[in-house]
Amino acid sequence: MRTLLSFFLLLTTIIANAQNAAPSWLESTLYGSGKINVVVGVVAVIILGIGIWLWRMDRRISNLERKP
Amino acid sequence: MKHWWKFLGIGLLLFASIAALRVPLAPALVHVSPDRIAPGPVELTITGYNTRFGKEESVYLKNDNQRVCATSVTTLDGTHLSARFDIPAGMKANLTDIAVGRLIYNGALFTEGLGAGITSGSCGPSTNKIDMSGLAFVFPNRSILYESIRNLHFHVPMWFTMIVLMGISVFQSIKVLGSNSLDRDLAAEMSVRIGLVFCVLGLITGALWARATWGAFWTNDVKLNGAAVTGLIYVAYLVLRGSVQDAHKRARLAAIYNVFAFVLLVLFLFVVPRLNAIDSLHPGNGGNSGFSDLDMDNNLRSIFYPAVLGWILLGCWMYDLRVRAARLANALDR
Repeated sequence: MRTLLSFFLLLTTIIANAQNAAPSWLESTLYGSGKINVVVGVVAVIILGIGIWLWRMDRRISNLERKP
Repeated sequence: MKHWWKFLGIGLLLFASIAALRVPLAPALVHVSPDRIAPGPVELTITGYNTRFGKEESVYLKNDNQRVCATSVTTLDGTHLSARFDIPAGMKANLTDIAVGRLIYNGALFTEGLGAGITSGSCGPSTNKIDMSGLAFVFPNRSILYESIRNLHFHVPMWFTMIVLMGISVFQSIKVLGSNSLDRDLAAEMSVRIGLVFCVLGLITGALWARATWGAFWTNDVKLNGAAVTGLIYVAYLVLRGSVQDAHKRARLAAIYNVFAFVLLVLFLFVVPRLNAIDSLHPGNGGNSGFSDLDMDNNLRSIFYPAVLGWILLGCWMYDLRVRAARLANALDR
């Protein structure tokens, strides 16, 4: 139990230090290179959203086709 | 040619999306190091964005309309510049602007050794030395936003489209109250369903943009909470529909609810955020200026309006497909 606890403490320290060392993935992508990556993310979300809608529409029409 | 509006919609989206991603940002000064000046000699490194600094730029500090000229300027490259100043004691304002030719970075430097004011130097732009070739059509370069200003053409049209679809829905619902038409009830429901797709897209894209500009995915902005509540009101509309068995009863009940839901949408998205007593981070709300000189310029507008129309037409197309599929399903059930 004690070894487990100390291992856990060690792990949390390592993680905390790692966060201090470099900006997180999120920080570097959202703030980096003039914030163009935010636009990339937004466009990706919209295309994915429309894609999911199309996929569901496709399923819906397939179901209609299967009806007698 | 009854399909013309679908072609128009796709054409507008193509034009607006390409333009939104390709139009360059206006040149601007984005960073000065160090960011604090005190009386005495100092060397400042200025970083520009999309700038093409030439060999001889006129660099000066501006404090309460009084100017301090650079004693020497070294252009490192197109976007970096190093300038030496002899800072006089007794400048008036807390914050000093820095300017390279026509480009001004407002409030760039904290100023120490304040006093009653200084005698202004005679430097500044005599000619426009910033190379603007190939930059005839640019988007404004605002601090904090920078490149993410392009999101205006993607995030905001989601909401315009949602509002138009909810408008179509409430129009159909009012027709239901007059005619008891089940077909119009179907149209009202499908319009809300497509509107919710755009609501979700608007919320997610807004959260991403907020993380990069306001620092958090979700802030307690009135417009955010208003939009979220509006979405929930329309989810409740669908839940209400699911809870009534009789089709005619459901149509009337849903129509009445829908009228109230639309009134609440208008309240939450247009009235409450504009109250001056409420603070909002959104442009045009809580005393901020909206579609005016500060937030929009004509270059942005000329891409934004086609984008809005394109997305609205795409939303209407999706709604059209959804209604037709639902009608087919009903016909097959019978």
